[in-house]
Order: sequence, then C-alpha cells, then structure tokens
Amino acid sequence: MTRLLRSSATTLAIGYVSFGIVALVLFAVPLWYAWQNTVQEGRAEILRADAQRLTEVFNRTGPNGLKAFVDERVGLQIAGERILLVTDSQFHPIAGNLPAWPRGVPPTSGTYTVPITLDGRSTRAVLVHATLGEGYNLLVGRDTARYAPVETDFWYGLAGAVAVLAIVGVLGGVLIRRALLMRIQGIQATVSAIMQGHLNHRLETGQRGDELDTLSHTINGMLEQIEQLINGVRNVSNSIAHDLRTPLAELRSRLEELALTRPPPGETFAEIDAALADVDRVIAIFNALLRLAQIDAGMRRSGFVSLDAGKIAADAVEFYLPAAELKGVTLQFRDHGPAPVSADPVLLAQAVSNLIDNALKYVPPGGTVTVEAPHDPNEPVQIVVCDNGPGVPDSEKPKVIERFYRGDASRGTPGAGLGLSVVDAVARLHGGTLELTDNHPGLRARLTVVAGAA
Amino acid sequence: MKLLLVEDNERVTRFVTKGLHEAGHAVDHADNGRDGLFLAASEPYDVIIMDRMLPGQIDGLGIIEALRHSGNRTPILILSALSDVDERIRGLRAGGDDYLTKPFAFGELLARLDALNRRGPNGGDKNERVLEVDNLRVDVLSRKVQRGSRAIVLQPREFKLLEYLMRHADQVVTRTMLLENVWEYHFDPQTNVIDVHVSKLRQKIDVAPDRPLLRTVRNAGYMITAAQS
Repeated sequence: MTRLLRSSATTLAIGYVSFGIVALVLFAVPLWYAWQNTVQEGRAEILRADAQRLTEVFNRTGPNGLKAFVDERVGLQIAGERILLVTDSQFHPIAGNLPAWPRGVPPTSGTYTVPITLDGRSTRAVLVHATLGEGYNLLVGRDTARYAPVETDFWYGLAGAVAVLAIVGVLGGVLIRRALLMRIQGIQATVSAIMQGHLNHRLETGQRGDELDTLSHTINGMLEQIEQLINGVRNVSNSIAHDLRTPLAELRSRLEELALTRPPPGETFAEIDAALADVDRVIAIFNALLRLAQIDAGMRRSGFVSLDAGKIAADAVEFYLPAAELKGVTLQFRDHGPAPVSADPVLLAQAVSNLIDNALKYVPPGGTVTVEAPHDPNEPVQIVVCDNGPGVPDSEKPKVIERFYRGDASRGTPGAGLGLSVVDAVARLHGGTLELTDNHPGLRARLTVVAGAA
Repeated sequence: MKLLLVEDNERVTRFVTKGLHEAGHAVDHADNGRDGLFLAASEPYDVIIMDRMLPGQIDGLGIIEALRHSGNRTPILILSALSDVDERIRGLRAGGDDYLTKPFAFGELLARLDALNRRGPNGGDKNERVLEVDNLRVDVLSRKVQRGSRAIVLQPREFKLLEYLMRHADQVVTRTMLLENVWEYHFDPQTNVIDVHVSKLRQKIDVAPDRPLLRTVRNAGYMITAAQS
C-alpha cells in the first residue's frame, strides 16, 4: 500500500482527481447561486400573478366574493400547497389557511421571505402582500420547505459527479501507473542486468517517440559510451600486459644474466646502458598509455582554448621538415589561411605530429607528404595529412587505429603502435573523427575537430 | 650550487644526492614537508628540488605557495610522479619554476637545475641584448648572427634554438628542454627530430676553420661552449 502511495503515477492521479473536484465545486457554486436567484424570482412571479388574480376577484365581487373564492380554494387544495390569507384593515383573518397575520410581514405591499408557524411547525415562507380596497389585505405565499427536495437533488447530483470523477480518476491513475510501471520495470530489468556485468544489454525503444522513448534512446547512447570506455580500459590492460611484458622480460633477463655471469667491467657497462634503454622504452610506452587513458577519460577538456588549427599544422610541419629532408622526403604545408577552433593546443599538436611522424616513417625516399588545414565554413575544422607511400590496405584501416596494432609494413620501424590511437582519441575528445582513406597511392589521414566542441 | 632536496623516497634521495655531490654541489635534505618548509625558509639556497607528495602536514605545492607568499623567490624544481599536463600547470601556477616527472634521467635533472640556477631568483638575464660565445655573436633585438666576420642567416626557429642554447652556454641542455622551450611541445615525439634540428644548426654555425662550439653531450643533450674539449 505504501508502495502504491509512493508511486509517482498514483501521486499524479490523486493530484488530478483533487484538482478536478476543486474545479467542479468552483464551477457549481456560482451555478447554484444563479439557479437559486432565477428560481426564487420565478416563484415570486407566480405568487404575484396569483395575488393579482385574487385582487381582481376582490374588485369584481367585493370582500364576500373573495372570501367565498378563497374558502373554496383552501378547501380544494392539498394542505400547505399554497398559503392564502385575507384580513380586514385590522389584520384580523377573514378567510384563508393561516390562523393569524404573520409577524414580520410589514403593512405595505411587497414580497417577503419570513419565518412563520405552519400546522404547528416552524418554517420559512415566501409571502406576497397585496393591499386591497377598503383596508383589506391579501397574503399569497408558499412554504420554502416544499422546494427542499429540488435543492437536495442538486447537491446529490454534485456529489454524484464528484464520485464519478474520483472513481474514473483513481481508475485512470491505476491504469496509467500500471502502464508506466510496466515500461519502467523493463528499463529497471535492463539496468539491473547491466549492473551485473551484461554490458551489451540495451533498453527497448518503441516507435512511439514519446518521452520515455527519448529517455531510453539517451540512456542507450550513454550505455554505448560506457561500454566503449570499458572495452577501451580492457584493451589497454590487455595491451599493457602484452606490450610492457616483452621489454620487461628482456630487461629482466639482461640483468639476471649480468648478475649470474659477472662479465668484465667494459661489457657490464654496455649491458647497463642497454638496460637503461629498455627502461626508457617501457617508460615511453607507459607515458603514451597514460596520455591515452587521460584523453579517453575526457579529463583534458579544461585545456581547451581558441586557436588556429592551420598554425598548429604549420608549426608541426616546420618541426618535422629537417627530418623529412634528411630522409629525402618532400614535406609541404598548403596554406589555406587561419582555421579558428576551440581545442587543446598540446593534444592537437601531438595528434598532427603523430600523423606526420607516421607518414614520414612509411613514405620511401623521394616521396611527398602534404599537410593542410582546408577551411570550409560548412564543415568542421580539419587537418589533412596525405602521403604517396605504400598506404594501408582497406582491410587494415580500422585496425591501425587500434592500440598496439602494427601493420606488416611497420616491422623493423621504431614505435609502440600507439601513434594513431592517440590521434583517434584526440579527435574523439574534440568531438571529431580520424578518417583514413586512400590517396591513390598512399594514405590520406583526415582529422576533424568540431568547432566549439568545448 | 647549494641545493635543498625535499623528498621522502630514500632511494631517490640517495640517487639524487650522490649524483649532485659528484657534480660538485652541496645538498641539504628534508624527508617531510614540515622540515622542508623550515629549511627552505631559513637557509639561502640556489635551487630547491621539491617532491609533490610528502608526509608531514604540508605537501610540496603547499610549501611552494607558503614560500612565495613570504616573498621567497628561490628557483624551485618540482619533482613529481603526477605526469598530467594539468598537474604540471598546477605546479607551475603554485609558484614552481620547472616541472620534472618521475622517473627521470639524472642528466635531465642536472641540466634543469643548472638552467634554473643560471636564471636566478629574479628571472635571470632575459634582457641581455647580445649573447656571445667565443666569436659567435647573437644580437637578440636585430636578430643578427655572426661568426667572426661571417654573417649567418637563420630560420626563425633556428634562431630561437640558438638563442636558447646561447642563454644556457656552458650548460647541458636536454632534448626535452629544447622541445619544451623552443617548440613549446609537451610530448615526446619519439623520433630524433631534435637531433636533426641541432645538426642543421651546427652546419650553419660551426664551419671550418672556426672551431666547433655546439657539442653533443652523450646520454644527456647539447651544450654550446667555448671551452676546449
């Protein structure tokens, strides 16, 4: 029961029913007054018409004629149906069904509502007082108690309406609650399953497009993101296990061999230098992984500032130019003017550097690497790095972005296989993408940054 | 140099103090924040090496803020395992002058300490108009470079690289320092790009019969010096 009361649908239903009842009452009260006034005025009109007729009888036939007429009517009618009284100038009754002139009715003509005693019981009556000729007085009236049943009917009707409203409201509330609960329970079941580790579950979304569907869509999007993050973490730990273990194992065997064989100093120092190089490699991989995890966690958004992506690309080209010359590769920057965007300067520079570094690694001497930041107001800001090297087969394109993936062509070149993953992560942090396409021949890497992604 | 090392890890302390002693520097050591603050505030040091996470009520950043607040301008090198770019910014904002992440190579630490010491407590000799080593002359304002009577034309970045090396003449400058100060890149480009830049610069300034000034220091970095090797 308390659960039912706590349900938001129940609260809503109760609220609506109460609101409906209040509205009904607010509507009924002025109606009641209007009805009362109209009906009372109508009744008084009938009584006045009656008094008019009796006055005519008096005028035509005199006091005795009226007395006979009234006596006849009192004799005919059901008791209490109509109050009739004819008196002389001293207000002594001559004819009629009232024993005495009621106190409270003034001696002048008019319509009055006064308390009277009728057949031994107190009640209120509407009385029309008409003064006749020669000081005679006429009272025509009606007991208001005779109208009571109509009023009661009105209130019964109102109570009935309230009852119907309440029943329909509660019933509707219960039904709405059932329908809502069923859908929410669906969401709850899915979420519980996800909490128990079944991350691939998704909320059902119908075609209705209502608020709950919208909510489900949003939650599904969130789950998608969470699953991706968790898979990312899983991949990272797998990769760490794999790629850090190899250099660590080498390092360990190197040191162990050193400890066991104790070679002459010259050889020992050479081995120690080699061991230091091993450690540096481990640290480099470790730093790259940390950086990657940091970017993926979206923690670097605080570093977003307004900058010119074209300038960042130009600086990176300038940075790599001597290295490219040394290798006999043409590295050129195609200037398209400034490309303003809100981005993290450190990360964007690193991403562009990684793309250039990558291109330089694979392009043979005599090749060309072109960097540009074409600026189209209808498109997101982008930095494109093209080369005419061996390229990447279509089947491998998605894989090269994966962590630690190294294509067949990369065997024998330095690097941890994290370069493009970092670029991809930087792109995603900036709400953009890293696209790899064919440059016929070669590879075309397009990094987009959504303007104002901060 | 007279140095203060505030560091709670024993092994790092031994490694650093031993290396600094061998390099001819005097080192005081505190292994907690309270002693570190006391020493830093009461003794004159050339450079302070400060770990960030310390026992003893006050951490590295707290000490730096307290020192700066009391008007102490001693150059401080922050040594930390927190490698985040944001952490680095926090450290420098608190009043640190340089930031080195653990693990580090001793050569890197020594080179940075030299650079900080050269700069001194007042930001150093940045206003020097003309830098000279042997017969190599760099005019910072007119951006003219001369070796003896021979004028040398440099690209803007080459000029910046040479200027940085000249400002740290007779000191080892590491690749990371060049990367951070000349290119303002705070990441490891993995390849030997810096070496290529330096050798290009060397081709322009060290031409026979002039004697070579720009030296490669094995396992550490580069140095411009007039000294005979």
